[in-house]
Amino acid sequence: MLQRNLRRSGSYLLAMLLVLGILAGCAAPAAQTGSEASSSETAAEPAASDEVTRANTLIFAADLTDLISLDPAVAYEFGGIQVVGSIYETLVGFEPGNAEIQPLLAESWDVAEDGDMWVLTFHLNPNAKFASGNPVTAQDVLYSWSRAIDLNMSPAFLFTDVSQLTKENMAAVDDQTFEVKLPKSVSPPVFLSIISFSLAAVVEQAVVEANAGDDMGSSWLNDNSAGSGAYVLDAWDRSVSVTLNANPNYWGAAPAMKRVVMQNTPELANLQAAIETGDADIVQDLGPEQVEVLQGNPDIQLVSGQSTGLAYIGLNATEPPLDNPDVREAIRYAINYDELIALLKGNAQLVQEFIPIGFLGHTGENPFTQDIEKSKELLAKAGVAEGTEIDAMVPVGTGPGGIEWSTLAAKIQNDLAQVGLVLNLQQLQSSELLNVYRAQEGKAVFMSWGPDFPDPDGNATPFTNYEARSLAWRNEWDDAKAIEMSKAAAAEQDPTKRIELYKELTEYVQHNGPYVLLYQPTTTFGLRSNVHGFVYDPVDTPSITFALITKE
Amino acid sequence: MTRFIIRRLAGLIFVMLGVSTMTFMLAQLVPVDPAANALGQNARPEQIEAYRTKMGLDRPVVEQYLTYLRRLLSGDLGESIRTRRAVLLDLRDYLPATIELAMASLVVSLLVGIPLGMWAAINRNQWNDGFARVLALLGGSLPVFYVGLLLLGLFYRQLQWLPGPGRLDSTLNPPADITGLFTVDSLLTGNWPVFQNSLAHLILPAITLGAFSTAVLVRMTRSAMLEVLAQDYVRTANAKGLSYRTVVWRHVLKNAMPPVLTTIGIIFGSLLSGAVLTETIFNWPGLGRYATTSVTSLDFPAVMGVTLVAAFIYPLVNTIVDIGYRFIDPRIQSE
Repeated sequence: MLQRNLRRSGSYLLAMLLVLGILAGCAAPAAQTGSEASSSETAAEPAASDEVTRANTLIFAADLTDLISLDPAVAYEFGGIQVVGSIYETLVGFEPGNAEIQPLLAESWDVAEDGDMWVLTFHLNPNAKFASGNPVTAQDVLYSWSRAIDLNMSPAFLFTDVSQLTKENMAAVDDQTFEVKLPKSVSPPVFLSIISFSLAAVVEQAVVEANAGDDMGSSWLNDNSAGSGAYVLDAWDRSVSVTLNANPNYWGAAPAMKRVVMQNTPELANLQAAIETGDADIVQDLGPEQVEVLQGNPDIQLVSGQSTGLAYIGLNATEPPLDNPDVREAIRYAINYDELIALLKGNAQLVQEFIPIGFLGHTGENPFTQDIEKSKELLAKAGVAEGTEIDAMVPVGTGPGGIEWSTLAAKIQNDLAQVGLVLNLQQLQSSELLNVYRAQEGKAVFMSWGPDFPDPDGNATPFTNYEARSLAWRNEWDDAKAIEMSKAAAAEQDPTKRIELYKELTEYVQHNGPYVLLYQPTTTFGLRSNVHGFVYDPVDTPSITFALITKE
Repeated sequence: MTRFIIRRLAGLIFVMLGVSTMTFMLAQLVPVDPAANALGQNARPEQIEAYRTKMGLDRPVVEQYLTYLRRLLSGDLGESIRTRRAVLLDLRDYLPATIELAMASLVVSLLVGIPLGMWAAINRNQWNDGFARVLALLGGSLPVFYVGLLLLGLFYRQLQWLPGPGRLDSTLNPPADITGLFTVDSLLTGNWPVFQNSLAHLILPAITLGAFSTAVLVRMTRSAMLEVLAQDYVRTANAKGLSYRTVVWRHVLKNAMPPVLTTIGIIFGSLLSGAVLTETIFNWPGLGRYATTSVTSLDFPAVMGVTLVAAFIYPLVNTIVDIGYRFIDPRIQSE
C-alpha cells in the first residue's frame, strides 16, 4: 500500500532515481581508470576454488593496515613480509624455533676467501621449481637480487649498505650455482641471516620480465605472484584482505590449508569477536583486556609469541648531566623493573641487553634492579644536585606490549623522582619525535627498536656503532671501543667465539652505553582450539608458516 | 535547464581550485617530514633524502604547488606517499565501499524517516506522535560508535542473526568489478550468494550510519507536513470531499517535499563524507578509513585527494537537489 502510493507521487521517486542515476554515472567512469589494478582476477579462477571449503581454509585476522606492497623487493612491514614469505622462498632460511640457518632453495653453500673478498657459493636444489612448473635457476637468483638493488626501496639497504653487495659481485656460474663476493668487512654469518629475509626472495625472471611495465613489475606483483613458495597469490583486496591459494606445483610437502585469507582487522574488539564467533581461525595481537576475556574460553587457545622489538630510553651522551656515565648508570639503578613488567600484564619480558631473546648472543642476564641508595651515590659522585631536570620526549599512543607510552613514561618519572631527578615529559607524534631524535636533538627519548635482520649484528651495529648513523649516533655516543668490539663480533665465523664476543660487548654497553633497556614485548595470538601446528617465530621469514598449520 | 547545470558545474571548478589551494597550504604548515615518516624509523638519512628527491618534496613550495596544480588540471591527483600508488587508483578502490554504505544508509533513512514523520504529523499530539519523537530523539542523540557496538554485540555476537564487520564473508570472493558496489555488481552478474551476503553485511552499518539522518528526516518531515496541513488549500481539499488519503499524499506530502528534499541533499553529503567512525567499527574499507590512515601517516597527496572528493560531493549533491526541486515544483523553473 505504502509503496503503491509512493509510486503515485512520482515526482518524489523521480528525484530519488535521479540521485541514484547520477551517482551510478559517477562510479562507472571511475571503474575504467583502475581496471588494470583491480581485483578482476578473482572471478577468473573457479577451477582452484572448487575444492576449497571452510574446513581447509585458514582465516587469519590481524591489523594489516601497514600493508603497502607484495613485491619482495619493496615489502618491509609485518603484513607484506608475511605474505611475501608465504609465496616466495629464499636461498637459506630459519626453521621455526631454531636460531641456526638452514638450507632452502640452496641445498648447500661454501664460504671461501679470495684475496680481500669473501666468496660464497650457493648450490641450488635441483628439485626446486616455481609455481609455473619451471625450475629455479641461478639466473633467477641473480635477476631477483639485481632487481632489488635497482629498485632501491625501503629494504634495499640490507643489500647495498649492510652487505655492501654490488651487481658486479654476483654471478650465475651455471644453472645450479650462484656466487657472491663480499668485502672482508662484511661478516658471512650476517649475510646469511640477511638473505633469509623477504628482500632476498627469488622471483621467476621470465614471468616478472614479461609483466615489467615501467617499474620492473613492482605493481604487477601486487596482484600476481611469481614465486616457488607453498602458496600463490589469489587476490589482494586493498585494505580488506589478502587471499592465498595452495601452490599446485609446490616442490615441498603440500600444505593442508588449501586457502589462506588474511583479513585486515585493525580494531581489537573486532579481533575478539572474530575469534569468539569462529569467523577467524587465528587472530594476532590481542590486547590485555581481550586476553582477560578470552582466558578460560574452551574454544580458544591463547599463544604468546616473542617479538624481536625492544623498548628503551635513549640518553643523549653529550647533554649534561647525561654526558656523565655515572648519571646514566644511576638512572638504570633508579627504575623499579618489577613494577614496570607488572604494568604490562604479561605482555612483556624484562630484557636489559640490546640482543633480544631468540637471537644468537642473548645472555639472559639482567644486572639492574632498583637500588635507590646506589643510584643516589652515583648521582652524588657525578655532582648532580637534587631536583636536576631532564627533558624527555615520549611518543603519543600505544607503545610495545600494548601499554600507553604516557603510562610507561609516568612510571619512570615516578621512579626517578625517588632519587631526586625531575623528568620533564613532552609528548610528541612519533614521526615528529623521530625527526628531533634523528637530528641528535633529543635528551631522554622513549622509543622502541626492531632489528632489520635476525642476527645479533642487526642490533649491535645500530646500538654501538656511531658511524652507522643509527641509535648510537642519535644519542651521540661515539665510543671507539664499542665500535671495534661490534666489528670484531660481526666478522667472527665461529658461532661459539661469536657468542663470547657479543657477551663482552653486551656487558660493556650495559654499563657505558647511552641506553636504559626496559623490556621485550610479547604478542598474544588467539587460536580456535581445532587449529594445530601454529608456530610464531619472529626470526623466521615468514614469522608464521601457514603451510605447517592444520585444522581438525 | 542545461544552462543552469553548466553554470553550477562551472562554479564547482572554482570551489575545487580553492579547496586544493587551501589543503596544499595547510599541508605545508605541518611540522613533520612525510618522507621520513613513510620510510619508518629504521631508515637511514641518505634513504630519506633520496625518497624526498624522488617525490619532489625537496623543491621550493611554490614550485611544488604549481606542479601539483598542473597535474591536477590533467586529472592526476599525484602519487600516495604511503601506498606508492596513484591516489586516483586508491580512491577508486575505496570510494565505492563508501558510496554503497551511504546509499544504503540513505535508503534506511528514507524508508524509516519519511513515513515515520508523516505518521507523527497526521497523528499530531497522540501516542504515535510521541513515539516517533522519542525515536527521533534517540536516533539523534546516541553516538555512532555506541549504536554500532550495540548492534554488533546484539545481532552478530549474541543472536548471530547477521554477519559481523566487513563487506563480505572471508570465504566469498568479491563479485566482478563493474561499479565497485558489491550488491549492484553481484546482481548484474547474477551472483546470488554474494548478493545475499553483501546485503546482510550492509544492514548493521547502514542502520548505524543512518540513525542520525533518520532522526533528522523524521523531524523535518513532521514539521513540514504540519505546516502544510494548516494551509487553506488543505482545508478546501478536505471540504470538497476528497478522500483523506488523496489529500495527504497529493496535496500535503507533495507540498511538504521541498524542505525535506533539501535535508536529504545535506544528509547524503554528510553520509558520504562522515562515515569515518562507522567504517572503523564495521571494518568497512571505505574513504573514511583511507582518510584516517592517510592523515596519521602524513600522506598529503592522499589527504588532498580525499578532501577534493568531499569538496566535490557537496556541490554536486546540491545541484542534484536543485534539479529535483524542478520536478516537484515546476514554478521554480521560472526563477
